[in-house]
Amino acid sequence: MAELLVEVGVEELPSSFVASGRESLEAAARAMLAAQRLSHDGLEVLGTPRRLALRVRGLPSAQADRRETVTGPPWTAAFRDGEPTKAAVGFARKNGVPVTDLAKVETDKGPYVAAEVHEVGRPTAEVLAAELPAALGRIAFRKAMRWGEGEHAFGRPVQWLVVLLDEEVVPVSFAGLDAGRLTRGHRFLAPSTFVLASAAEYEDRLRDARVVADVAARTALMNERLGVAASALGGTLVDDAHLEAECASMVEEPFVVPGTFDEAFLALPDALVISVMRDHQFYFALRDGEGRLMNRYLNVVNTAEAPALIAKGNDRVLRARLADAQFFVTEDQKQPLEARLPKLDTVTFHSKLGSVGQKVGRVARIAERLAADVGVDADLAGRAARLAKADLETLIVFEFPDLQGLMGRHYALREGLPEELADAIRDHYRPAGGEDDPPDAPLAAVVGLAARADTLVGCFGVGLEPKGSNDPFALRRAALGIVRTLLEGPVDVGLTRLVDLAAAELTDAGHFDDAALEGQRRVLEFVRARLRALFREAHRGDLVDAALAAWWEEGSGDLDGGLSPRDLRARLVALEAFRERPEFDDLATAFKRAFNIAKDAARGAVDPHLLEAGAEADLAEAFTAAGPIIREALDARDYTVAFETVATGLKAPIDRFFDEVFVMVDDPRLRTNRLRLLAAIADTVNAAAHLHLLAPA
Amino acid sequence: MRFQDLILRLERFWAERGCLVGQPYNSEVGAGTFNPHTFLRAIGPEPWNVAYVEPSRRPTDGRYGDNPNRLQQFHQYQVILKPSPIDIQELYLDSLRALGTDPLQHDVRFVEDDWESPTLGAWGLGWQVWLDGLEISQFTYFQQCGGIDCKPISGELTYGLERICMYLQDVDHVMDLEYAEGIRYGDVFQRAEREWSTYNFESASVDLQRDLFDRYETEALRLVGAAAKKGKGGKLTWDVEDPTKRLVLPAYDCVIKCSHYFNVLDARGAISVTERQRYIGRVRHIARAVAEGWYAQREALGFPLLRNGEGTHG
Repeated sequence: MAELLVEVGVEELPSSFVASGRESLEAAARAMLAAQRLSHDGLEVLGTPRRLALRVRGLPSAQADRRETVTGPPWTAAFRDGEPTKAAVGFARKNGVPVTDLAKVETDKGPYVAAEVHEVGRPTAEVLAAELPAALGRIAFRKAMRWGEGEHAFGRPVQWLVVLLDEEVVPVSFAGLDAGRLTRGHRFLAPSTFVLASAAEYEDRLRDARVVADVAARTALMNERLGVAASALGGTLVDDAHLEAECASMVEEPFVVPGTFDEAFLALPDALVISVMRDHQFYFALRDGEGRLMNRYLNVVNTAEAPALIAKGNDRVLRARLADAQFFVTEDQKQPLEARLPKLDTVTFHSKLGSVGQKVGRVARIAERLAADVGVDADLAGRAARLAKADLETLIVFEFPDLQGLMGRHYALREGLPEELADAIRDHYRPAGGEDDPPDAPLAAVVGLAARADTLVGCFGVGLEPKGSNDPFALRRAALGIVRTLLEGPVDVGLTRLVDLAAAELTDAGHFDDAALEGQRRVLEFVRARLRALFREAHRGDLVDAALAAWWEEGSGDLDGGLSPRDLRARLVALEAFRERPEFDDLATAFKRAFNIAKDAARGAVDPHLLEAGAEADLAEAFTAAGPIIREALDARDYTVAFETVATGLKAPIDRFFDEVFVMVDDPRLRTNRLRLLAAIADTVNAAAHLHLLAPA
Repeated sequence: MRFQDLILRLERFWAERGCLVGQPYNSEVGAGTFNPHTFLRAIGPEPWNVAYVEPSRRPTDGRYGDNPNRLQQFHQYQVILKPSPIDIQELYLDSLRALGTDPLQHDVRFVEDDWESPTLGAWGLGWQVWLDGLEISQFTYFQQCGGIDCKPISGELTYGLERICMYLQDVDHVMDLEYAEGIRYGDVFQRAEREWSTYNFESASVDLQRDLFDRYETEALRLVGAAAKKGKGGKLTWDVEDPTKRLVLPAYDCVIKCSHYFNVLDARGAISVTERQRYIGRVRHIARAVAEGWYAQREALGFPLLRNGEGTHG
């Protein structure tokens, strides 16, 4: 069993390239080994800023032999009067077997010629020499570059290449370099090149040369050293997975150097101080035992022979950075948020939808009306919406775009604006992503809904719908934000109402014509698709579709409050519970039958005089009793009661009806009346959920 | 190390490694990249190794001489190595050692940085070089220049002289740097920063800058013999067919002027968001015309520097 090492030595790769380089190298290597019939006991990819490496253990000395039956031309075309034709001779030659060895196989399409192919596996070293260059060529980066004479492309210039199969160099050329056994250690701590005697000693030898090649091991070592340094300062690390991955990919051996900044900067918002340290310098922030941000930080570095010198330099840089941030904050506070609104009029949101200032005006009016619907102070909602985007015109948000909302809140509080308004400025962006929750406060929820509704309805109205993966206005995220706010947040609003309010504002502003109004239905369908996908993550698909169809049919025409996502959830949850009942399957079958028979029939009042005594009259009577209860429960969105009533009140009569009554009788009056009865029952049940869409258990 | 000693050491270091010691350009440039020593020489197959100081104007970065780190005019030390040698990183680190900075005693890191100049139609990939967390240099492998793919590739090293010197002298305010014996940086530039900041932010005539931009744009196209609009498939169309009849170098000066007036207008707050993209596009168009004009002219001349074989100097 042999072990393979491939190491591509490079100039410092960007941290994200270390990850993408490893992933693509692994995929390319696995695909190549499989295609070449080379089994192995394990494959791993290592990576630092200066190298990507592949290790494969337990390789055989040669490829597996290939034995395969290859089917050729039809027998009748291959042999005429017992003599091989050109087709047979050509096929035999192509597969390296004598014509006399061709066999006849029976297939669906008749007899065919077949050849037993036996290919002897080539030595592993030979296969690798031939195949590795193409596999290495499939290492992918977001952006490749060229260097020197410009003949080769890679993430950064390639400096050396090692390919060892056990003790032997495999002759491979890549990026203009011939593979050898010479590698390099840490750029500064072990700068000389050295010879690798075998693939197996790779990681140990590198460790001696101050390189931890395995990303997980390097990350673990970094975290351990960060933990020790944090404890020594009496603090705990502010967790940041992104920063952790970034730092681990910027060094070959992680060292930690603590630093300090002036306590006066702690008067700035924590998030700002953390952003300055992280975004500009890759420093980890620390909190003390009481959870307060400390004026200390931890810096992951590649070399730490003189920590005091390094800390001094970094402290100086951070001081200048924080002083800049402080300057921006001071400048920003020279005028109130309100005074920045005119600036928003000069920023184009979209040429067909006006300026950001105009958008803010629309959002404020939508927010006022939504607020009135859900019992939130409408004036406050309008004010919050108007100020929600004002911080986009501040220096600090220009410098740190991620702090939008957060700095707006900070400035609003300093101005003495009400706390809930300030919170809404920050929280109306929530949920910021799949990991984030919608806002808890109704005011923030209302402003966020209004802002997203305007974006969504506006973009659909002027033809900016997402196409495929192209979604420049992030409309999928906007739709999901609306859905999640309405499902998990503090307010319940119908989607029709939300879309209608937004469309009315866009129409008043002159952005919409009649054609644009057609976009409203597509917005609703778009949001429906998000809801369907969201619920299908946690519920059976047929249940989701059954509830969704009824919800859509009932709500899409109701402009005042139709299509509440919570209503959909209530239907789905009740239906899911209903489905667990023992009598469910029979019921579903019966209603499917009723629906199928009645779906195309004319609706109308049932004439009691035409009902036949027995099963039919009993069913009509049962429905007369149960129908109003079901409808009342539906109005109250109490779907559990609705389904319960269907089960207890209608199951037995409808089963008996189908057992004993023939619907499609010759007498047209009787037939019509029976169809009307079934249609009325089916329609009533359908208003809760479309049971006919359910799959058999 | 005094400011001027820093320059002298870098001059000597790179001269000893075969670079032509170039000089700053005598027009307002935003960076050493604008100097024809870089922008034009990076185009085409001819080798080129040069090093020079470039006083670089960034009107929007002016702070009236008050900010410890920001200046409307600062100094870059620019090195072009074309084709980029395989040991270019080691050469760079050696230059730090020549300045008395031992990388082993510090934390020196190559941090990802993609460089792009939209006005020059140029981009490259490489790093910011950090010394103990401070960005002291930009290190770029040019991929495209004036819209033309580079081959061979130029390695560009740009040292931020004031920053490096502040680090070496351990001072917190740029004006406190010792420039030469008994002369501070502030003695030389404090007043200039105040006047130029006032000019750029408050006093420059917007009408004049706009007018100058328009006129130099027209002049650039006339000199290089290109049409103002691109033809089919975004191709440049030429009024002057013979590459050797085009006045490429004077046309390039017009590109530099346009870029500068755009920067002043920007600092003056006279350019709206939508106008901005159009101005950038206009500069890029003439920069591209000059780049293609330069390439065609060098080609017509038989790429003179190729005749010398490999290294042109050193």
